[in-house]
Amino acid sequence: METNNRKGCALCDATWGEYYREIDGNRMFFCCDICADIFENMVSEVKKRTGWKNIDHVDLNGNFSLGRQCTAKSGKETFNFYFRTYSDGRMMKFEER
Amino acid sequence: MTFCPVCGLKFDRGNYRMLADHFVDQSRASDFRHISWLNRNVSKDLMKAEDLSVSLMTFYHISGGIGKWIITDFVRRFRGDSPHPFILAMQQYDPEVIRGYVVEHHHFLKQWIRSCSYIIAKTEFEDVQSFELENIMTELHGYGASEPSHHELLIRMGESLGLDRNFILAEKPLKQTVEAIKIWNDLAASGSWISAMAAMHSLELIANRDLSNHGARYPYFNPSILSDKMVPEEVKTFLREGYEADVSHSYTALQLVERHARNEDTEEIQYAYLRSAEAFSDYLEARLERGVMLGNK
Repeated sequence: METNNRKGCALCDATWGEYYREIDGNRMFFCCDICADIFENMVSEVKKRTGWKNIDHVDLNGNFSLGRQCTAKSGKETFNFYFRTYSDGRMMKFEER
Repeated sequence: MTFCPVCGLKFDRGNYRMLADHFVDQSRASDFRHISWLNRNVSKDLMKAEDLSVSLMTFYHISGGIGKWIITDFVRRFRGDSPHPFILAMQQYDPEVIRGYVVEHHHFLKQWIRSCSYIIAKTEFEDVQSFELENIMTELHGYGASEPSHHELLIRMGESLGLDRNFILAEKPLKQTVEAIKIWNDLAASGSWISAMAAMHSLELIANRDLSNHGARYPYFNPSILSDKMVPEEVKTFLREGYEADVSHSYTALQLVERHARNEDTEEIQYAYLRSAEAFSDYLEARLERGVMLGNK
């Protein structure tokens, strides 16, 4: 799985930190464990709502304050959604839009 | 002393290189809080300690007084281009959000008067003591039936939206509120009175209408709420009180801080403000979470 954040953390693109986690068989870089938690929860929610078995790519646009407008792709299918979390990583809002 | 704005670790005065080394160490450990602070306040791009120390020096540089430095940072943090989610939520009337506000803010106000009391006990300046005494009266005690306290107005706002007074008073705060209150209490109990004053009264800037003159992009709440016939009068009364009162309060307090601050107080004031603002951000999230928990009944 890839995201549009190619420079750093898969969620926020920061290049601080040295945290890795395996998600869907991919060893992914994150700046911290909270970003990894958020990303992992987001992936689970997308799979739950779409029924997909795997996600190829996620485009994330936004930030912590405003939340993130995203597009996930699996093969030829796409899913547009918005989500925002609390500071500790728990999901505050997730909706298809 | 220079303080880490995240964990409070102390370094020699003005030693931003040591502070930068500390942040780089914490980054290598992938510490969430330190990295999050760097991402939101300095840069998302990894830097060498040498370069980070220059960026930190720029971040802490004061031009035009400590009050202006605090106002500028506060606007960016809460009411700027990427406003706090609570500010966004208050741009339309939502009873759910207001209910969450009531339950968590009860605990904030209880801590507020504790912090003000520490300031009174620690300072020798009568203008500061008078300011804080009046503040305590306004926030928690009130001036008789004709001028109820903000705390009383808060409870009436909750009652108008279906919350029981006894529930508001008895309900335990959410975890983020508990942790924020601990930080505010520690800052007031163990810090100087002037840093505690900056830490607490800077938070009143949240409702300050004048912040648009300092770059704020969003008001505290949508002013049309005050003329909306669907909104209970008790909600309007509470919001109007803060809307009108906090303009003078937050500026007066920062003016007192500037008047009495010595050069050696500056770094502790900046530290206390930054810790307080971070705690406040988490606390505002608790208002939203509580609102969701109570539901839009």
